[in-house]
Amino acid sequence: MRGGGPEAFRVSAAGAPGSNLEVFVFSLFNGVLYGMLLFLLASGLTLIFSMMGVLNFAHASFFMLGAYFAYQISEPLGFWPALIFAPILVGLLGAAVERWALRPVHRFGHVAELLFTFGLAFLIEEVVQMVWGKVPVPYDVPGSLNVTAFAWQGLDYSAYRLFMLVISVGIFVALFFGLTRTRIGLIIRASLTHPHMVAALGHDVPRVFMWTFGVGCALAGVAGVIGGNVLGTEPGMAIQLGPIVFVVIVVGGLGSLGGALLASLLIGILDNLAISYDFSLFPIFSFLGVERDAEGIMADLVSITTGSIAPLVPYLLLVLMLILRPRGLFGTRDV
Amino acid sequence: MRLKGIIACLTGLVMGGFLAVSANTSASAEDTVKIGLIEPFSGPIAAVGTDALQAMETAAEQINGKGGVLGGRMLEIVALDNAMSAEKTTQQLKKAVDLGLSYIAQGIGSNHALNIIQFIGKHNKRNPDKAMVFLNHSAVTTAFTNELCSFWHFRFDANVDMKVAGLVTQMGRDASIKKVYMLNQNYAYGKSFQAAANMLMKERTPSVEIVGDELIVPFGKVQDFTPFIAKIKASGADTVLTGNWGPDLVRLIKFSAGANLPVQFYTIYGGLTSSVAGYGADAHKVTLKQVNEYHENHDGLAADALAFGNLYLDKYKDTWYSDRYRWLVSMLAAAIDKAGTDDPIAVGKALEGLTFPGPLGEVEMRASDHQIQMPLMVSSLTREYKMPIMYKGNDFKIAFVTDGVISREDTTLPTTCNMQRP
Repeated sequence: MRGGGPEAFRVSAAGAPGSNLEVFVFSLFNGVLYGMLLFLLASGLTLIFSMMGVLNFAHASFFMLGAYFAYQISEPLGFWPALIFAPILVGLLGAAVERWALRPVHRFGHVAELLFTFGLAFLIEEVVQMVWGKVPVPYDVPGSLNVTAFAWQGLDYSAYRLFMLVISVGIFVALFFGLTRTRIGLIIRASLTHPHMVAALGHDVPRVFMWTFGVGCALAGVAGVIGGNVLGTEPGMAIQLGPIVFVVIVVGGLGSLGGALLASLLIGILDNLAISYDFSLFPIFSFLGVERDAEGIMADLVSITTGSIAPLVPYLLLVLMLILRPRGLFGTRDV
Repeated sequence: MRLKGIIACLTGLVMGGFLAVSANTSASAEDTVKIGLIEPFSGPIAAVGTDALQAMETAAEQINGKGGVLGGRMLEIVALDNAMSAEKTTQQLKKAVDLGLSYIAQGIGSNHALNIIQFIGKHNKRNPDKAMVFLNHSAVTTAFTNELCSFWHFRFDANVDMKVAGLVTQMGRDASIKKVYMLNQNYAYGKSFQAAANMLMKERTPSVEIVGDELIVPFGKVQDFTPFIAKIKASGADTVLTGNWGPDLVRLIKFSAGANLPVQFYTIYGGLTSSVAGYGADAHKVTLKQVNEYHENHDGLAADALAFGNLYLDKYKDTWYSDRYRWLVSMLAAAIDKAGTDDPIAVGKALEGLTFPGPLGEVEMRASDHQIQMPLMVSSLTREYKMPIMYKGNDFKIAFVTDGVISREDTTLPTTCNMQRP
């Protein structure tokens, strides 16, 4: 692109050491790092949706609880116990929510469930503010992993970033095999499509749902434990990340684990490419009749670049996906 | 028929309520001079609102401890919660009118401040005998004292342009700064920071090259700052100049620390308690500077300011940060005494040109645009300090030390205000 493209397209990464291909590969790598964190968060949501048909609006709130629990546990005991116990606590809380709150609501249909989880998200945020206060808490990356693993393009990557990647990949593999290759996975999948048959075979279907919900929440908790210290642990973190997770599962296809993985990576990589290459969108607006010396609202259109709107790219993807392929990449039914 | 009956009942109830309220306040209005403080006391950033209330109340207590105003009337702060929503700000303004408040203070969120300026402008035109005055403690949009200026608005904080002037002047004193990368939030405030920095750097740091000038989607929408860090690194910048606040600042700092990005950060809001709490241990890995009017480790603070800061720390176990709250309340009290009445028009005129001994030297409410003129200082976050930053009894084990003071002359900027006086 550099030098060859039309003048309106500028590559801000110009001046970076290394070739343009290297910038591309670099963005891919950063995109995968970020995308896998998104996947970890989305996996629990898509698991709950595929098994129970519940679109859990409070999912990102369980992510936040994971981060706060991890902060609380790591203060006296250190990071490693937090990595084990915080997700378990979040999972148990999730299971309790399913058992004593969501199950009675289930009778009234999916809209009631949706509204319930919507309210739960606000409730959790208020409780978090009451317990831990309204300013961020200093939840830090563990010292033992806060060492430089390697440097690329002048940036140091800590061992912790790699650790996050390993955990996310590990969880994807475990989930995938757990659901498709084990007896428990078989029962869970059967409970979704043939709950009465599964019950007739002697399985406690409500209990299967309860633990599925718990495990889904625990996965969000894991994402909170390993992401909270990088992104910052504060009461607004759930609201900020919540919508993106929904984009991931809609684009990937509701209920599809592989789809969630692909959509997470796609969003992570697109985000990085949009910022690294920073294309001007002027050619598009110019085509629509905007002049280069436009004033007022139009003046903003002239200077708009992909980098300045990168966080909106996932939502553009969401809208396009809903128009062109409502079932998402790997979904089996329409939204 | 039944519907009409219900409406009549409701109207009766509402009217009755209003009467009760106004009867109640007219009895007590004589006793105290009330300042309505409209801030978020609920919702996600309620902490900032409650801190502002605590600061205003402490400042009012100090005045009351010395005998109040007009020979014995006390100051009272009335908290009005806007939950950071525009409609509720308007609701609370109407409530303030009902309560008969003449003084409104606010500062969190320039959009709310603009709402108040417009509301009071209309209200005062229609009710010249019940005028209200707006005391702005922190809303920094420069336009409020330029093209949008109003007699009824007084700003006790340096505006964005003045703060940027402070940062840029200090940058000009550091010969090691060669390349600057600007990163700001894509909304009114971030853009005015960007414009002021571009203008002032041309004048005050002509030899420094701007190698990046970027706007990001604001308010925590950006989760992963790695691509921005990569661009800053690739640009060869040695300094990042940013007006970011909240998660947009905390994540920028945390990701920079994680990548060992070799730059220093010049910020406006890097020293807010909520920012410092968010950095955690990463604060030790970056060079971070802020511009403001007070920190307790500065040598040569005015004795009054330091005494007040120590009193506040003792009382709340919070480090005193925004000394301008004290100026606001003290200057209002002085203006009331000078005018000899709490009539808002007379007090507004008395505030014009009023001076006050600030922590770094005299501050003055400029008559031409009602923008306070004040010295500023740039300070760095460090582990070597006399007194650490405390918040709700937590010791952050980090604090600010002064890099340099920017004199009032250097922060004074021209105004385009053409004020209409009553």
